[in-house]
Amino acid sequence: MGLLTILKKMKQKEKEVRLLMLGLDNAGKTTILKKFNGEDIDMISPTLGFNIKTLEHRGFKLNVWDVGGQKSLRSYWRNYFESTDGLVWVVDSADRMRLADCKRELHSLLVEERLAGATLLVFANKQDLPGALTSEEIRQSLDLDSIKTHHWLIQDCSAVTGDHLLEGIDWIIDDIASRIFTMD
Amino acid sequence: MADNMEGDHTDLMDFEHENFGEEEDLATGCSNADSGFDAVIGHIEDIIMEDDFQRLQNNFQEKYYQEFEDTEENKFIYTDIHREYVELVEKFLSEEISKRIPDFSMEEFLRALETKEGDCELDGEIFDLLRTFSDFLKFKEFMLDYREEKEGRTIDLSDGIMVTPVHNGDLLMEGAGLSLMGHGFGKH
Repeated sequence: MGLLTILKKMKQKEKEVRLLMLGLDNAGKTTILKKFNGEDIDMISPTLGFNIKTLEHRGFKLNVWDVGGQKSLRSYWRNYFESTDGLVWVVDSADRMRLADCKRELHSLLVEERLAGATLLVFANKQDLPGALTSEEIRQSLDLDSIKTHHWLIQDCSAVTGDHLLEGIDWIIDDIASRIFTMD
Repeated sequence: MADNMEGDHTDLMDFEHENFGEEEDLATGCSNADSGFDAVIGHIEDIIMEDDFQRLQNNFQEKYYQEFEDTEENKFIYTDIHREYVELVEKFLSEEISKRIPDFSMEEFLRALETKEGDCELDGEIFDLLRTFSDFLKFKEFMLDYREEKEGRTIDLSDGIMVTPVHNGDLLMEGAGLSLMGHGFGKH
């Protein structure tokens, strides 16, 4: 590892948190990112690359990385694992057909060494849609209770209405902050 | 005056002499224990101000600027290009420091750096600048700025061609118009 890479890894005085947002395609990752940032969400097309937003929230500088979720793009996810403090896994709660897919992809991330220290927030998104599974049902379908390696929480939400996005983000920041900013 | 500058970094090159000049700056609480470390930092500051480094950056921008588009969404290839850039700059710095400090060891320097983590010394301008090289969004801006600069120039050139008086009914013998055109291309 070279000079610049080492420097980057060193935490600065500023409280910086890096969040990586992943999930199957059409789960609502980009919509969550934009909604949280107060942007218009009417014209969002499938992400074929990645988006980054730097947000100020509660005195933290959040660097949020949102990477496209289509099957052919998932092999790129690994390029964004480095230095991740929190993993935000977004689920389309109305997409019952692909819950098994969703579970498999999530659990394959949790064994990644470079994500070993990351806190996991699962957003059970699209609660505004009729037929959406509850967060309790998603929790069972994804077998979240088997996860012992990461701090995790499941939060039901709707990116379209903005409901409960803040609760989820606040929880993940609190969890990360209690792990890495206790030194000062 | 020039002599003073010259001697600035040359006398304290060996950063294994950690005890040399050890003292605590009471005002800031920063330890000035490691003059060899500071000497390396001084060299890094010099290196990135020099023409060779500017050339390195410009060549890199020239090679890849066309991949970059001014859209919010990023292409995966940007990540590969950024990684290549970081490695290039790291390699360049390492080689240039070695030219100035013959027995320089980057491994040792990085170990020294890591023991200073959280130290106020790492908050200087030079560290901020070094951090910008590995910052993805800053890198994207760096590439887009170059693209804008390049394409801005292209527009100027076509303006130059439009004013060629050959089309103005004046005779083709007006060599000035032709040479103006030729001049424009030559400049580019």
